[in-house]
Amino acid sequence: MDKDLQDLEKKSIAIIREAKAQFKNPAILWSTGKDSTATIWLCKKAFFGDIPFPVIHIDTGRKFPTMYAFRDKIAAEWGFNLLIAKNESALNQGMAPEKGRLDCCTELKTEALKDLLQERKFDALFLAIRRDEHAIRAKERYYSPRDKDFSWNYADQPAELWNLYVKPSEDFSHMRVHPILHWTERDVWQYHQQENLPINPLYYAKDGMRYRSLGCMPCTVPIPSTASTVDDIIQELETSKTPERAGRTQDKEKAYMMQKLRALGYM
Amino acid sequence: MLMIILALDALDLKQVERFNCHHLLQTEYGETSLTGFKQERTVVLWASFLTGKNLEASIPVETQWTYRVHSEKTFLPYFTTHKTIDVPAFSFNQKAHVEERRLLKGVFDEAVTIEAYDAVVWRNHEKNKEAFLKAIGHFDLVMGYFNLADAIGHLSFGINDKLAVVYEELDRIAEAVKDSNDLLFIISDHGMKAIGRYGDHSRNGFYSFNQGMGLHHPKITSFHMLLRRLVENEYATN
Repeated sequence: MDKDLQDLEKKSIAIIREAKAQFKNPAILWSTGKDSTATIWLCKKAFFGDIPFPVIHIDTGRKFPTMYAFRDKIAAEWGFNLLIAKNESALNQGMAPEKGRLDCCTELKTEALKDLLQERKFDALFLAIRRDEHAIRAKERYYSPRDKDFSWNYADQPAELWNLYVKPSEDFSHMRVHPILHWTERDVWQYHQQENLPINPLYYAKDGMRYRSLGCMPCTVPIPSTASTVDDIIQELETSKTPERAGRTQDKEKAYMMQKLRALGYM
Repeated sequence: MLMIILALDALDLKQVERFNCHHLLQTEYGETSLTGFKQERTVVLWASFLTGKNLEASIPVETQWTYRVHSEKTFLPYFTTHKTIDVPAFSFNQKAHVEERRLLKGVFDEAVTIEAYDAVVWRNHEKNKEAFLKAIGHFDLVMGYFNLADAIGHLSFGINDKLAVVYEELDRIAEAVKDSNDLLFIISDHGMKAIGRYGDHSRNGFYSFNQGMGLHHPKITSFHMLLRRLVENEYATN
């Protein structure tokens, strides 16, 4: 095993085991993308094959059919407890990006997850976010407390000195735990290659285009690419100057600002 | 009486302190209260500042940019002569601000670059600055409105270097009009907080005076009466 990947894996597995020991009722989010699939694999390795907590997939009803197929196939093969978080009532009322991307994300993702969290009383959620994805994610810690409204106070986060990750207090609704926060996009792909992990086919180029980041169909666009293997993708990343999430039509901050500026009458 | 009001949209106390804008931070300074206002709408807040009344309910969002208050309902007639530069709800330069808002929307629609938008905002700012500085000394009251911190801040509040340039510029304006004989009153409608790289209105407005007024967390509507009293005292003692 590559020494750098071994170090990354070692730290991630330590965080996963630490969090499992500290929290009574954790769960992990899985989008079926490369990062969360790698994180699920890390969980399998951390607990010698069986993931001792549920895997949550947030179903917005607007994901790519390939993502649903991939989800069901991997869940069956890896044998974990898959929970689906879905806001049926918002979908029945026709919630869609045309009604406002931020509202759509809030209803179909955040509210769906909130409901499941409330129902199952999860006290920790593993998420496969990475610092190099987005400027705001660079401010994240491995342990990130959230209140009942999912608010994150980045100015007041627990210190994480000497690789010690501890619950700061009970003053939070649930804890977000980020085991691969220190990985880069390239690390994730190299890890996929090394561990021979299953890969959602949307990542591979078809007709000169491929998806670099997966989200809902209406809000995700492919990038020009000819990468049809993991090797190609890694090679592409070596020279790419495009941000990873460039294929997402809106980031949340931009969507929030548009909505707010409209409310204030600017647009 | 010579009074200068520097009306700075979205000037935020935390940033004034952070960038060490000591000309903006005068003898007395602090945050204003927006209690009673549901939103931090620019036109509503300046109209309420001018009249001393919360006008939120009577200014619809859809038509707010063309809303005008009558001069006699403001504190302006308390001054023998007055000049306002680009003040929202009073002497707002419609053409310039319509263009800014069009470009702002264009940035979100990815039809306009942020650099092109910034250039227009700065161009309008320079025009207002010229008119403002030219008016100083010729009227009892000169009120100049500058939206630089708001307009640049909405797209770039989280970008430290850009924000620093904006605050330095506003501090230089305060320095340019500073005169111990004139009352310099600096006021903002609301503050600003970061949403990633963007800036959202916060509920903490800013005020400062070059004389002690003894205010504590004043409402934005309470300055109307204060200005009236200041003028009455001035004329009574002359």
